Amino acid sequence: MMADQRLARDLTDQGFDAENYVSKLSEEGEMPLLEMKQKVHILSEKTALELKKNVYKNYSQFIETAREISILEGEMYQVSHMLTEQKTLMNTMLEMSLVSDKAIVEEIPKEKEVENPEEETRRNLAFLLEKVEGCSSVTEVPGRQLIHNGDLAELDLETFVQVHRVHMFLLNDSLMIATWLPNRRGPVRYRFQGLYELDNLAIVNIRDAGPVKNAFKVLMFPDSKIYQADSAKSKRQWLDILEDTKKKKLARDKQKRESVVRLNEQQVTPTQNVEESSNPFDERAEEISSDIAMDTEYLNVDWLQELPEDLDMCIAQRDFVGAVDLVERVNEYLKECQKTPAVKEFRARIDHRIKLLTEGLMSELQVSPERSLRGGPRAARRAVAQLIRLGRSAQACELFLKNRSAIIIYNNRQLKFEGATSLYIRCLCGVFFTSLSETGREFHKAFPEHFGCFSAFIVWTKTEMESFISIFKRHVFDSKSNLPTIAECVSIASKHCDELAAGGLDVGFYLDATISENLERVIIEERDNIIEGIKYRSQDDLWRPMNHGTETECLKFAEELASVGLDVKDSIYNVCFISLTINTAQFCKACIVMAQSLLLIHKIEREALITDTLVQIFKAQVKHLESSVKNEKFKTDLKFILKNSQYILEVLMAKIEQMYKLQNVIFPHQLVTVNGEYRRLKSIVANMAK
Amino acid sequence: MSKAKAQQPAVIHKVIMVGSGGVGKSALTLQFMYDEFVEDYEPTKADSYRKKVVLDGEEVQIDILDTAGQEDYAAIRDNYFRSGEGFLCVFSITEQESFQATAEFREQILRVKNDDNIPFLLVGNKADLEDKRQVTQDEAHQRALSWNVAYVETSAKTRANVDKVFYDLMREIRSRKMRASQQNNGQKKKKKTNKRKCVIL
Ligand SMILES: Nc1nc2c(ncn2[C@@H]2O[C@H](COP(=O)(O)OP(=O)(O)O)[C@@H](O)[C@H]2O)c(=O)[nH]1
Ligand SMILES: [Mg+2]
Repeated sequence: MMADQRLARDLTDQGFDAENYVSKLSEEGEMPLLEMKQKVHILSEKTALELKKNVYKNYSQFIETAREISILEGEMYQVSHMLTEQKTLMNTMLEMSLVSDKAIVEEIPKEKEVENPEEETRRNLAFLLEKVEGCSSVTEVPGRQLIHNGDLAELDLETFVQVHRVHMFLLNDSLMIATWLPNRRGPVRYRFQGLYELDNLAIVNIRDAGPVKNAFKVLMFPDSKIYQADSAKSKRQWLDILEDTKKKKLARDKQKRESVVRLNEQQVTPTQNVEESSNPFDERAEEISSDIAMDTEYLNVDWLQELPEDLDMCIAQRDFVGAVDLVERVNEYLKECQKTPAVKEFRARIDHRIKLLTEGLMSELQVSPERSLRGGPRAARRAVAQLIRLGRSAQACELFLKNRSAIIIYNNRQLKFEGATSLYIRCLCGVFFTSLSETGREFHKAFPEHFGCFSAFIVWTKTEMESFISIFKRHVFDSKSNLPTIAECVSIASKHCDELAAGGLDVGFYLDATISENLERVIIEERDNIIEGIKYRSQDDLWRPMNHGTETECLKFAEELASVGLDVKDSIYNVCFISLTINTAQFCKACIVMAQSLLLIHKIEREALITDTLVQIFKAQVKHLESSVKNEKFKTDLKFILKNSQYILEVLMAKIEQMYKLQNVIFPHQLVTVNGEYRRLKSIVANMAK
Repeated sequence: MSKAKAQQPAVIHKVIMVGSGGVGKSALTLQFMYDEFVEDYEPTKADSYRKKVVLDGEEVQIDILDTAGQEDYAAIRDNYFRSGEGFLCVFSITEQESFQATAEFREQILRVKNDDNIPFLLVGNKADLEDKRQVTQDEAHQRALSWNVAYVETSAKTRANVDKVFYDLMREIRSRKMRASQQNNGQKKKKKTNKRKCVIL
């Protein structure tokens, strides 16, 4: 023993030099070395054991610490993020502020102190099971709470000599007395003695009984007991709390009685009630305590007896898988045995830990504003898997999805809305749909075969889509973007939807249904704008070819048209002339852009609108062409007008047809018909020449 | 923590003070315990006192339970009464209502103890306030007579009859106990003689 301690001291010494130590030891030969090895081995075992004990002893703090560490990691990210934001905020404020050195920056509000979970656990009656043997029936009453407890000495009624030590537990409806078990190790320290309803307890303060101090009487018919506290203060506290608790119970009972009276029309007098309810606990409790010895054998297996502690260890070390393994093992073992009181009591001890474990797992998945999104999907999946094993798939599912929602919100917040709308939408869609599909994948992995949960996932998806779409609409439609931008945004979102659909999750129809009204309105507005433009430009169309002045300017213009897919190179003549009017060029450009946008958002449901839009635009232009041909003023320009007509109705239309083909959309016959308008114009001209 | 000495008189007489609030139960108790008149004594729920006294040459202990206020539960009030062996039912001669209330207390005690001969004294306190008297000696005597108990007028202020009521009650309790134990012994003797033919005598 002494040697052990010396060894431990040597090894933990600041100046301990392993090399030196061993070489000195080995000088003396093999035997001391072997001996040493043995000693070190024993010491290490002892240390491990002590460590385990310590862990158990401080396990609640340990839980806290472990949890804090994992939270801390995430928090550090948040803090650094917040700091950078704060810094930029301060910089901008300094810039804005006139007296820059006096800029006041609002302090970050301090986090509220988290309620001490210890306290809560203590309130939980399950804590009694840890301390008191034979009290499981006491803890089974729902709504029962522990109000106050403490050590007291029970005195002989007549002689005031101490009988034994007791622990008194004041519950919200009754008083439980447990006698102290001397020479007991482990958490169980008391044996259940009796439970007394508060209604029947008369408390008497012993003001003066000669040499006996700090005592009070409890009259509980037929027993009367005298208890002694260790200080006047402690006694006062007991008397006050007893009084207070009795009053509260009376108020509760009165309320209950009144509601009962209100329920049944027949009146029950309060006195009757009180008499009827006298001490239903006493007998039952006694039966139980006498039964306990009988079936302890089944429970008296080493691993089973150690299981509560082992469970505590696992929970403390956040080894959730290990904890659930233990739970499954004990469940299996207890499944077969009878539900005797001792088993029930043991069961209750386990159940209490399962509750703690479940809470621990749930808090893994919980998201609260002051907590970061710890661990990501893998940590969540781990927690979910264990919750499912504990039979809590519904809760797990709910928390899992909530967790995912929080991630989406968090990710969305990280996006900065600056620059082009389509750029933002591209990022937003990227983040959102990735989250969605990742959630789907994770969900499949986390809840395999739990088909009941899948509907929850679908509902969740719809809700998430709703909030996504509302952001989408705000940015795309409310911001008065132009059709090409809107079309681009819609097509980005649709493409993502298609990808999801390929993976088995179809949300595209929902997106489409919710935005189609907005989209159609935009299309019609744009069409009307273009037609207005055609009418306006046709009024002062002089049918002159474009003259760009210089070759470079001319080529530049040609290039510009080429960028939208229009080839005018063949129409260039005399270095800087183009044999088309500016009006024709502008119409073609508008037409191409429109067609591009429309094809981007092409859907069977919108086909009619799209076709009609293009047809109407063309018809408006044809109308201008026709009236120009028939106009006396342009008698000499007929050939030129026809050339423009040909470009519009054949070259441009061919270009659009090609665009349709590229998009794999059938070119509608209405547009083919428009294409025939050129022949009609030609024949009109031919007739006029006659 | 001080432990009680082992050598305490074996006999304890348990007395309970009952009566309406303000009649002087606490004042009587404190006068008896400490020989002093306390003007304002906060009304407590239930206080108990124990004191060694010499009753007719015999050392005994008196255990006094000074009740106060209305307990909210009837069952709890019953528990107080159950713990007593004798009762001082106090009213104030200056307050008619407190005299009326004694009838209720008597009834409750008889119900709980289930004994018409329970040691019991009717006590008319505040006798020093003769000028404010509302309850005549006559009507108090009348009532005591009908209950077959003694009536004594006291003053916690002047200490008149204070010791007397406590000692008289203790005597009653003592004689009740003696009678009871005799009866018990008699029964036991009878039983024993029935079972086995001859043991004592
Ligand atoms: N004059 C007079 N006053 C008394 C007497 N006994 C009690 N009092 C007063 O009556 C009041 C109520 O007495 P207390 O002992 O608290 O009554 P309890 O409620 O029955 O305990 C106090 O102010 C006492 O001082 C008495 O014999 N004579
Ligand atoms: Mg009083």
